[in-house]
Amino acid sequence: MPLPEGPSRARIARYLLGQELRSLLLSPALWLLLAIVSILVGYSFIQAVALYSQASRTALSFPELAAGMNPLDGILVPTFGAYYLGETLLLPFVAIRLIGLDKESGALKLLLQLPLSPLSLCAIKLAAMGLLWLLILLPAGLVLLFWHKMGGHLHLPETALLFAGHGLYSLVVVTIAMFAAAISDSLPTAAMISLAVTLGSWVLDFAVSGQGGTMALLGSFSLTSMLHRFETGLLATSHIAALLGLALFFFLLTTFWLRPGRTTLSRLGASLVLVGILASLLAGVLQTSSALDLSENRRHSLNPADSRALRHLEGTLTMTIHLDRRDSRLLDLEHGILARLRRAVPHLVVRYAATGATGLFGASEDPKYGLIEYTYEGRHDQSYSNSAEEILPIIYRLAGITVRAEPVPAYPGYPLVADAGPTGWWFYLVIPLLCLAAALHGMLLNFYQTHR
Amino acid sequence: MTIETGGSRDGELSICGLSKRFGTSLVLSDISFTVIPGEILGLIGPNGAGKTTLLESITGLCPVASGTVCRHGRELEPEERRRILWYQPDNILPFARQRVATTLSFFRHVHGAATAELDELITGLDLDAILAKPLQTLSKGYRRRVLLAIALLSRQPLLMLDEPFDGFDLRQALSVMDLLRRHVARRTMILSIHQLSEAEKICDRFLLLDQGRLLGIGTLEALARQAGLAPDATLEEVFLALT
Repeated sequence: MPLPEGPSRARIARYLLGQELRSLLLSPALWLLLAIVSILVGYSFIQAVALYSQASRTALSFPELAAGMNPLDGILVPTFGAYYLGETLLLPFVAIRLIGLDKESGALKLLLQLPLSPLSLCAIKLAAMGLLWLLILLPAGLVLLFWHKMGGHLHLPETALLFAGHGLYSLVVVTIAMFAAAISDSLPTAAMISLAVTLGSWVLDFAVSGQGGTMALLGSFSLTSMLHRFETGLLATSHIAALLGLALFFFLLTTFWLRPGRTTLSRLGASLVLVGILASLLAGVLQTSSALDLSENRRHSLNPADSRALRHLEGTLTMTIHLDRRDSRLLDLEHGILARLRRAVPHLVVRYAATGATGLFGASEDPKYGLIEYTYEGRHDQSYSNSAEEILPIIYRLAGITVRAEPVPAYPGYPLVADAGPTGWWFYLVIPLLCLAAALHGMLLNFYQTHR
Repeated sequence: MTIETGGSRDGELSICGLSKRFGTSLVLSDISFTVIPGEILGLIGPNGAGKTTLLESITGLCPVASGTVCRHGRELEPEERRRILWYQPDNILPFARQRVATTLSFFRHVHGAATAELDELITGLDLDAILAKPLQTLSKGYRRRVLLAIALLSRQPLLMLDEPFDGFDLRQALSVMDLLRRHVARRTMILSIHQLSEAEKICDRFLLLDQGRLLGIGTLEALARQAGLAPDATLEEVFLALT
């Protein structure tokens, strides 16, 4: 006699999501992560407010300094630095449990027999982790609330971008941890693999700072470097595509490696094909990258009249830079006007001429050292300046155009003298105690149920 | 020696030429048999004979070197097999930290079983006393019973259980056999058993496996005939004669 049909896949998925949430909430690792993040966030916030207040006192006395008082740089980015630590060092320990614990307990053998594909199974696990990430954001939510209550200013687009950056970074870390668990036989091995990638990315970013060439290119694709770009208020499709692409890559790899009945060789083959497809897609996205300046002080933008004029340059503008990669003037140029020119000029070629620079204390033997040469449609000019005020007129002269700057409202700055000390109770005591209670509840319940 | 592959051609499931390697060693060698609907087929063999590997290969959980699993003559891809069969592995502790009641409720929901069915299993397997406890804190016997309940909640027509009687005393084993017998009216079962006395009590037919080789398949009488023994020979005598 045939047995009745089972429930629909959607219903099974809903029950499985509930089960995943239960498993994660029963895990002391999650509560430990939240408690530590709360303490770190609280400390960072209180310190940031103290420093911001100190600088604000001067800015209030000298109003011309007020424009430098930016809550994104002064409060939010330092506070979210604590999240970076939690996401890099602790989140992998929670995320590996999504797959690793089921694998170790044998539950995965049962789950893989449900009428859900490994892709659906992994997506449900990821969704459960995503929901609990909202719980981990509780201290960040309190920071925004307290800052707002103190009279602090928040610019919604750049704040949302900061959250989005950490969300994407966490997504990549979680998918790396899931993949590590899928290919490992034990939780400790999975944790080691996950940390090797996240910490490796951190080390890479640190090691290549101030270096040029291939190392700089490699460093720009480190997870840390990609996250930092979200902290400046620049919404760039290339950064989003790179982080989403990495997350998708590790997610799909996880599903390949969980697919039952496949040999290691076929899994490796599928992984290689995936690498190829993703690299091609990413290359395509990077070629057509666009950016939107969401910062309130428009730090990534030129005057609208300049942007319009530069966008209409039809010829190729070539800049030949005679500066050593480690020279601070080049770093200023790269992060300042050059980054804006790359986004605005349709055909820009930047060449880094070999220099004879010998570093910070050595004098260069190259007479052209420090020079920046400009060529546009056969016309040539050169300058030692790395400031927008001097470079833009050179380009306009070469292009034979005149640009009159549009009046734009100046960024007022938001100095604020406040004391965040009293909020410490929440971050140092209330949230950690709640976490401890939640973790102990699970453990005590277990003890009571075992011994009664 | 001729091996009867047993069963009718349009049986519920046909396994043809299944072979499996771990590195250079062959752990399953060209295994072929058919499962007859409504039967309890005992997978008999000593530890290391390849019983678990055979079950996992049939389920599609582990890759095989060669061989097919067919239903009504049509080959089933590993993904399709999930609709036909449920395999309950040995020595697993699913969701070990949560209460048994929660775990059973989860599997009841995902299998679409009725509450009454779960209640019947809880009574039949005497699980009332441990419903509030986490699985990881239970004795081996209780863990087995919970795993059995999870398996019996499944809907698939073919149920494969790995060592379902391991850890039970005689009385418990008989009680579980009775429960399985009641369930077999609705589904087919393959039970991997290393204790021959228990297998003899519950199985309709036997598949004898040793070192990854199929020694024989059929009723005890047919196997005794194959081994050249009297029709009333025990399974132990048959197994020893064939190995």
